Amino acid sequence: MNELLNFLPRRFRSFFYIRSVQRDNITGRERGISLNRKILIVEDDANISKIIKLNLNLVHFDTVEAYGGHEALEAIRGHKFDLILLDVMIPGIDGFELMESIRPLGIPVIFLTAKNSVVDKVRGLKAGAEDYIVKPFEALELLARIETVLRRFGREETLLEFKDLQVFLDRREARVRGRPVDLTVKEFELLVALLKNKNIALSREQLLDKVWGIAFYGETRTVDMHIKSLRKKLDLYEHIKTVYKIGYRLED
Amino acid sequence: MKLWQKIYLFSILPFLLLFHLASVLIIERNHSKLLQQEIEATLRENRSIRSAIEAIVPFLSVYRSPDYERTVWTNIGNEFAAKSGDRAAYLRMEEEPDRTAFSNVDFPLPTIWTKLQAPGKDEIRYGLSDVGDRTILFTASSVEVNRKKIRIGYMKDVTPVYAERVEQYRFFVQVDIAACLLYLVLMMIISKALTKPIERMARTAKVIAQGEFSRRVELRSKDEIGHLADHFNRMVAVVEDKINELEILNLQKQRFIHDFTHELKTPLTSIIGFSSFLRVTKYQEEAFADGLNVIYAEAKRLESLALKMMDLIFIREENLVMKRENLKAVLDEAEPVLAMKAEERRIRLAIDGGDCWMPMDTDLMKVLIFNLVDNAIKASSEQGLVAIRVHSEGGRRILEVADRGMGIALEHLDSIFEPFYVSDKARTRQYNGAGLGLSICQSVARIHKGTIEVVSEVNVGTTVKVVFEVAERDEVKV
Repeated sequence: MNELLNFLPRRFRSFFYIRSVQRDNITGRERGISLNRKILIVEDDANISKIIKLNLNLVHFDTVEAYGGHEALEAIRGHKFDLILLDVMIPGIDGFELMESIRPLGIPVIFLTAKNSVVDKVRGLKAGAEDYIVKPFEALELLARIETVLRRFGREETLLEFKDLQVFLDRREARVRGRPVDLTVKEFELLVALLKNKNIALSREQLLDKVWGIAFYGETRTVDMHIKSLRKKLDLYEHIKTVYKIGYRLED
Repeated sequence: MKLWQKIYLFSILPFLLLFHLASVLIIERNHSKLLQQEIEATLRENRSIRSAIEAIVPFLSVYRSPDYERTVWTNIGNEFAAKSGDRAAYLRMEEEPDRTAFSNVDFPLPTIWTKLQAPGKDEIRYGLSDVGDRTILFTASSVEVNRKKIRIGYMKDVTPVYAERVEQYRFFVQVDIAACLLYLVLMMIISKALTKPIERMARTAKVIAQGEFSRRVELRSKDEIGHLADHFNRMVAVVEDKINELEILNLQKQRFIHDFTHELKTPLTSIIGFSSFLRVTKYQEEAFADGLNVIYAEAKRLESLALKMMDLIFIREENLVMKRENLKAVLDEAEPVLAMKAEERRIRLAIDGGDCWMPMDTDLMKVLIFNLVDNAIKASSEQGLVAIRVHSEGGRRILEVADRGMGIALEHLDSIFEPFYVSDKARTRQYNGAGLGLSICQSVARIHKGTIEVVSEVNVGTTVKVVFEVAERDEVKV
């Protein structure tokens, strides 16, 4: 459908895309289908593709894998994606060429590249990529970048759900079985960090960095204190696990 | 000063000097010749008057009458005056010591006249003197009549000769101005035209200096400048070639680094990704096994890459001691391992050939054979055939590995020896190659004074031929 809008100047086009996406969300909600956001992974190395998929599935993204340019094109035609992770060097149609077909759809793209050269980054960003990530990368970094790009595109989740816990990001409110729970600012942010990296163990340093910022580096006891109060306030003794030699993990 | 200005100036100065000198010389010579002619004519006239008088002398000596003499003089003078008409000639006859016998001179006699006194018999003197605004040529001779000396003065107005010279100078000045102007213009055009190719070359050189090495000077003249332009062009061509060479080298180096990082980072991404996944997620048996397998395989891949890189570096640096060995024996020794590799993909190996003695390092030779056969196996489809053959041809030892696999497209043939070069740009590692094999082979071949020839056709197969040149000395021993 969106291709039909190509006669419009680009800045008007995106207006229509967003509307159509929102409508889809509403119908999805009504039908009760999974509302997970969907990401296309275009990567020719099967192992790398798999590890990305595993990590994304952990935090409840739906994923589709494509190992080549032509497969990627097919996938784009068949599904609706919230984001595309695109390796530049893929067989068939290369990443830059593929961008030509993706750009009119208004789907944000993050480039995966082995090259750490400025020229390539600039070329990628110029081709219309939202961001790039240089291999080898850590899963947490990838997830953080995906979140940032999705937020920029207004596809950020406003509601995080875990068991009978609901977290409204826009209102900064947490409810357990519909009943509001009083959380401090740091407790709330710590909870969000754990929810967003569900099933992934985060070290105390990583949590400090995400919630308190670099300035608090080294004061890992602060994290332990807040985790303790979160477990107590939300009754998450079962689910916030202490991981030996690493840190904490929210498990469902 | 610019070259054309120099040429201009240096051609104008001598021209002006010589032109004026020559003109003045010609005019002066003309003038003196004219004057000389005039003088000779006047002298002749004087002589003829004297001979006329001499002819009368006998009569005069018979009569011996001063009155009669005077009459004769007057008659001769009048006759002369009538004859000469308006030719601006004058006659004066004087009797010694100082009595004028005849004179039609209408101007005061200058001092030169007295200086021309008393010429001897048969002697004529002459002199020039300005009288008023005229120039008069004086000639004097003498004749003896009745023991009296008669001086005959014949004078001629030569003012026109001088006037002629002035006239010529005037004319010369006019011609001179015109000629000089014409010459100035012509020389400017000529000197500019002469230096134009040089200027063009200078301009081109400037453009080339700014980096446009494909530019050439376009000059078709056959003179020295043309030669210079030819040499210049040849020089630029050489420079351009060298620069292109350097650029290609640089490009290859960049590609090497780029490919090397790619080869390094792909397994690293998997290893880091899976290990971190296993580290931070809850233990699941299947994911655990999968992850460890991936980590192991990718680490192995890194190891093999590291080993190959080391091969490549060491082969380039090592100082080897070669020993005479039989290539066939080395091949036979390697066969079991090759056969095992081939078996994995159900490929048949056909080894044949005779003894081939040559100086070699057996370990390196095995590396060469392994890599070539490995490539052939990777290129072949299942149940294919790889034929290995060694044979001698005079002073040459030949190792041939042929497959009936997918072949190499023509556009890749030139680059296959470059490290990390794989014909598939996206580097799908369907057959697990980093693209180092042929680079290693070439290094080994080079050390053994060998060359590698590749004949290939897409979907028909590839034949790699390594030809070793064996020195004559070794030949005799066989």
